[in-house]
Amino acid sequence: MASALTQPFTTLPGEVGAPRRTPRWWNRFVRQPTAVVGLALLLAVAAVALLAPWLAPGDPLTGIGPPLQPPSPAHPLGTDDLGRDILSQLLHGARVSLLVGLATAVIATLVGIVVGGLAGFFGRWVDDALMRLTEFVLVLPRFFLAIIVTTFFGGSLLTIVLLLGLTFWPSTARLLRAQILSLREREFVVAARAVGAAEPAILTRQVLPNAMPPVLVNASLQVGGAILIEAGLSFLGLGDRSQVSWGYMLNSAQPFILIAWWMSLFPGLALLLTVVAVNLVADGLNDAWNPQLSDEAWR
Amino acid sequence: MAAHLPRYLLRRVLQAVPLLLGVLVVNFFLIHLAPGDPIYLLAGDGGDEPYFAAMRQKYGLDKPLPVQLGLYLLGVVQGEFGYSFAYARPVFEVIAARLPPTLLLMGVSIVLSTVVGVWLGVVCARRPNSPVERSVLVATLLGYGCPAFWLGQLLVLLFAVRLGWFPVQGMVNARADYEGLARLSDIARHLALPVATLSVLHLALVTRLTRTGLREELGKDYVRTARAKGLPTPSVVNRHALRNALLPVVTVVGADIGTLFTGAVLTEIVFAWPGLGRLLYDATLSRDYPLLMGIFLLVGTSVILTNIVTDVAYAVLDPRVRYT
Amino acid sequence: MIPQQPSSFLARALRGGPGRLLWLTLMLIIAMTPMVAAQGTPEPRDGGTLVVSIASDPGHFNPAITTGFTQHVVADSMFNGLVGLDANLQPVPDLAESWEISDDGRVYTFYLRPDVAWHDGMPFTSADVKFSFEEVLLKYHSRTAAGLGAVLESIETPDDLTVVMTFTGPYAPLLRRLDVTEAPIIPKHIYEGIEDPTTAEANLKPVGTGPFKFVAYAQGDQVTLEANEDYFKEGLPRLDRVVFRVIPEANSALQALQSGEVDYAWNVTPAQIQLLQASPDLETATASASPGGALCINTMAFNLENEPLDQLEVRQAIYHALDRERMLEQIQFGAGKIATGPISSAMSDFYSADVTAYPYDPERAMELLDDAGLTPDENGVRLTLVFPHPNTFDRYGELIREQLGAVGIAVEDVSLDFNAATDRVFLDRDFDLAIVSYCNGADPEIGVRRVYDSRNIRPIPFSNAAAYSNPEVDALFDEAATTLNADERAAHYAEIQRILTADVPYMWLIETEGIRAFRPEFHDFKHWSGHFAETAWTENAAE
Repeated sequence: MASALTQPFTTLPGEVGAPRRTPRWWNRFVRQPTAVVGLALLLAVAAVALLAPWLAPGDPLTGIGPPLQPPSPAHPLGTDDLGRDILSQLLHGARVSLLVGLATAVIATLVGIVVGGLAGFFGRWVDDALMRLTEFVLVLPRFFLAIIVTTFFGGSLLTIVLLLGLTFWPSTARLLRAQILSLREREFVVAARAVGAAEPAILTRQVLPNAMPPVLVNASLQVGGAILIEAGLSFLGLGDRSQVSWGYMLNSAQPFILIAWWMSLFPGLALLLTVVAVNLVADGLNDAWNPQLSDEAWR
Repeated sequence: MAAHLPRYLLRRVLQAVPLLLGVLVVNFFLIHLAPGDPIYLLAGDGGDEPYFAAMRQKYGLDKPLPVQLGLYLLGVVQGEFGYSFAYARPVFEVIAARLPPTLLLMGVSIVLSTVVGVWLGVVCARRPNSPVERSVLVATLLGYGCPAFWLGQLLVLLFAVRLGWFPVQGMVNARADYEGLARLSDIARHLALPVATLSVLHLALVTRLTRTGLREELGKDYVRTARAKGLPTPSVVNRHALRNALLPVVTVVGADIGTLFTGAVLTEIVFAWPGLGRLLYDATLSRDYPLLMGIFLLVGTSVILTNIVTDVAYAVLDPRVRYT
Repeated sequence: MIPQQPSSFLARALRGGPGRLLWLTLMLIIAMTPMVAAQGTPEPRDGGTLVVSIASDPGHFNPAITTGFTQHVVADSMFNGLVGLDANLQPVPDLAESWEISDDGRVYTFYLRPDVAWHDGMPFTSADVKFSFEEVLLKYHSRTAAGLGAVLESIETPDDLTVVMTFTGPYAPLLRRLDVTEAPIIPKHIYEGIEDPTTAEANLKPVGTGPFKFVAYAQGDQVTLEANEDYFKEGLPRLDRVVFRVIPEANSALQALQSGEVDYAWNVTPAQIQLLQASPDLETATASASPGGALCINTMAFNLENEPLDQLEVRQAIYHALDRERMLEQIQFGAGKIATGPISSAMSDFYSADVTAYPYDPERAMELLDDAGLTPDENGVRLTLVFPHPNTFDRYGELIREQLGAVGIAVEDVSLDFNAATDRVFLDRDFDLAIVSYCNGADPEIGVRRVYDSRNIRPIPFSNAAAYSNPEVDALFDEAATTLNADERAAHYAEIQRILTADVPYMWLIETEGIRAFRPEFHDFKHWSGHFAETAWTENAAE
């Protein structure tokens, strides 16, 4: 199969140009103001998620004030219909969103690396079989599947993360496989082979590190995608009800959208900012690892 | 190359059969092994053992699962997709009735966002680092990060509830029986907000892909040469670079036709649009097994077909790709 | 009981005490509107279209094969039962203009109206009644099949206008289970000879006797009905058209109501009362009955098979730990009242106030738990209970987790979809606490007995979830069902209520009410009935 046919389907395909891993990528990354802003935002959200129990002590799902109060000094972002503090829920909700995003991306990337790596490296029937499997997973409609599984089996965080991780990996696998196919014939790999390096060593030492940048960019985009899907499921009332998440807050806000705007606005904005931050970082990484674009002065 | 096309297509279609079978089998067991019995839902809060037993027998739910699966597949081969529990009608009819609204919503959204997205992408690529490009890029980022259902609600609150420009829900006005042009314009008014909601993500994606692809192409040697020869920039862009830059866009548009079936669930619920996404959601809640299987069959088939078509389109656009 | 009158709204709000100021304010606002309008309100007018929002797609229009809420909300307007129910759920004539009951309570004779025709012009006769029961209702209408199937001996039709139902023994509740929701009559000449009435084409082109006739159905979108000009009730219906609009999101439905796209909303949630309060141009009404069930009580079951819930003190403690005032205010937004026992206070014939009460008292709860030997561990936890519930009860789950947590009972709050929760509670019996909206129905025999009768401890939905077994209670239910004397029946039910509240196998939380919102130019809805639009009219009708 020609490599163009194996482009990732659902992500922003990073241009699979000449991926030279240079120590300069970090310099390139921080030279982009958007990437720095994204990273700062993301670190802020991560800090909030980690520190939530100290920033907002107590159970965010316990009523501590009068219900449906607009933002005030006592409750800077207001309270919900059961008199629970929105700010406190927002801080705790960051944990679920980030956790779902990161765990999904980690699972998807690991599975994708294994599948894509095996397929790209061994080729032949292994490749064929694994690519059939990849197509199969791509054909399963992810959101439909998520609705059905969370409806039927309950929407615990574990279920959601596993489900998303196990449906997000095909793009990673295809990307990595394409990278490997193109890298295998590159000079430095051929050279390594010529001096007698063993194939597994070539794969892990030479090919994989060079193939990783687009995979990581893809993974960071998946973080954003997973966060949005979790929010969508929670919005339908199919998320994990035992922990507050931003989607859960948006779901609770439904009946009050016209009279308690603060219940809906803040979690929505938090979601938006977090996903934007993740995507900015992904863009920054892509540009930093793909110097062709940013170095090329086009006038 | 053209001579290879029929063989290539045949091979792809043959490969699709086991794929579809796999999708059906996996979904069948997923659906049937899940807790929850459709019979109890049919019964409401009444019923006793004889009633449940009679209904189970009537719907064939008393047989062992492998037998049920076999009977279902046998039916599918003969074009029989079973009866929906909730609608008490053939699955085929139920789905067919919901397809036109979904296709309308999807089609308009894909066409609109692709055309506008490519245009915005070209604008950006030709004016790098301009205020125009910056604002478009910020907008695409926001669009890419915005939960569709949340955006939909904001649009309803602003344009339907506050300003009254568009209706809140539905596909046609419930009070009037419009005919002809008036009916079309009525549907268009109802279509505006859901299409806007559904298009945002896709628009952002297409814009960014076009911009990135075009910038890369414009940096390539052949463009520089053409430019050095004094060819005007627009012509270079239009003739050569755009064609190559659109390759990834084709892939994404193809994939989005598949995801728009599913991506429409939330939008259809928020806007009470009578489409397939909502049908699936309702069928899930009511454990309408035959209907769920039917929807999966349809969506699986459409995704596979879209993939094949995308690959062929890719090959047509990019002569370097060969069928293998 | 159906507080359409401003005065009853006020009375209800005032009874509630200081905690219900919010509700009172709301009711005042709502109450003002009709009073102002009343001064210039003209006589009922004929004509106009009513657009009604419903939460899901009915799919078909045969009310005899289903107990589904949506199917009945739409289809009931096209059909009739032998007997109707008035606002107090008392039997009134519908297709039958009168009836007689034999002295032994076994034989009911119904005399049908002579002037009734099906929408296609064919005359309605006793043969339609016999056919509907024998071939459809007793096979496919789950409540009627389960309720009458075992006790109905025969249906005879001595002539075209007489129907005689004979029972195996005295059967008191019959007249309350013959309305259009429980036993709609469908045309024999259409369905006769059809092998499977549940998949019949006729279900999509319904032919009934009801106030409205079928016009068109756009699946997932809307159903259009028009007035039946030959309806047998003089001067009815008044509306020209009724359009049912499918709007799954309750929030969208209310927005459509505000923007005037919809006139009447069935799917209003209690939380939206706040929103209605902010929209004085809309009216609300509450009703304790609907085609989905009458007189419903949100009830929690203890799994009596699990320790330590088999101890009376522990159950009493948990009941005392629940702040039901807060549930009523923050979850139901005042729509309903705190329940006192297994029979709804709205069922005035059989309700008894002479019961053990369990006011909110966390101190008392902790004492009782101490007495039961359940002392807090190092984390302050005395006991952990698993509480699976349908996601429609999520808000209850959250409050109960909070309130039981306060007395040292950790609650593992498991939110499931409706079907999965039903499975887990009634089939797998994998729960400590469960919550069900048990609807009493128009008669205790319909919806009360099944919850407490030990013979109904079985793996079917909405049976005796607690596995409560008390032979005395079983015997009382038997006697009440076969006694025709209303006072004697009431005495039996009063005793049942006394015993059950002392034993607390269940906790009765809130008597809920359905909320309807509608545009103020519409009047005279029957909010409690499937025939809700039969008498309705609009000021906007063309002259």
